Amino acid sequence: MKRPWGVLGAVLAGVTTMVGGVAPAVAQQFEKVDEAARENLLATPFVAAAYGFIWIAILAYVVITARRIRRVEGEIASLRRRVDPGGGGTAPR
Amino acid sequence: MDADRRSPGSALGPGFLVAVGLAALGFLIVPVLIVRAPIEPVMGFVQKIFYFHVPCATMMFASTFVAAAGSIAFLFKGSEGGDRLAHAAGELGILFGACTLVTGPLWGRKAWGVWWQWDARLTSSLLLFLILNGYLLARRYGGPGGRKLAAALALFAAVDVPLVYKSVDWWRTVHPQTTVVPTLDPRMRGAFWSAFALLTLVWGILLALRLRLERARAGLADLELLVEDQMEMQR
Repeated sequence: MKRPWGVLGAVLAGVTTMVGGVAPAVAQQFEKVDEAARENLLATPFVAAAYGFIWIAILAYVVITARRIRRVEGEIASLRRRVDPGGGGTAPR
Repeated sequence: MDADRRSPGSALGPGFLVAVGLAALGFLIVPVLIVRAPIEPVMGFVQKIFYFHVPCATMMFASTFVAAAGSIAFLFKGSEGGDRLAHAAGELGILFGACTLVTGPLWGRKAWGVWWQWDARLTSSLLLFLILNGYLLARRYGGPGGRKLAAALALFAAVDVPLVYKSVDWWRTVHPQTTVVPTLDPRMRGAFWSAFALLTLVWGILLALRLRLERARAGLADLELLVEDQMEMQR
């Protein structure tokens, strides 16, 4: 029955060594700063980027959709001319 | 001829022009109202993103519900018009979903210090956006049964909407709760509802425009069939 205690002791010793060894190493990786980084972030670029993205996305969507409509209507006009060459071949209204 | 009946221009009349005029006016007035609204004391100026972030998310929800309604009409009644409506609304869901998922992290980076958190609201919103993308991909690459597969996906997307909305109340999350809008300061409320009305109007305009494209495509498909018939008869 001595063996489980021996294993437990070894595990505890290992954990203690790891914690004791890691903690100072982690602490040494940080540098002291006067303020938290996010406190230094100006809000204006974030607000401008958010609004800019929305308007550009909507504008781009309108332009792309208008182009798609124009292309399809062009194809319709072309086909109508083929179907009814004497009918003037007017583009769809 | 069916193609004549579906003349694409018929979708956009004087009402459409009035809506565009009102939206143009809104683009001039709403930013002024937002700038004049009081600064939120905890988050500061970055909270101004809220005035368009929330309406964008709501338009994503509305698009999803419209896509699901159109899909139900298509699945159970074979309505081609319902399918066209679902297609148009699905695309708008992606547009407004992208706006929500871009503006949210911009707000979060300043307010929370991180771009993204895998919390219930953000994760379920991303899931909704991905399902809507899956809807369009299934339509485009799903083959002959792709439209029906996509319609089923639209129903799944609609089920996700209440989950997204209530997630902030049901699970612990960093995202503000649904009680924010009803408890807004009266001076913020005016700016918020103005922005909401503007984006709803823009959504309606885009839906009308996108439906016009769908009708034009349907007209083109009819004409192509007619041309094929004529060619067959000439042979």
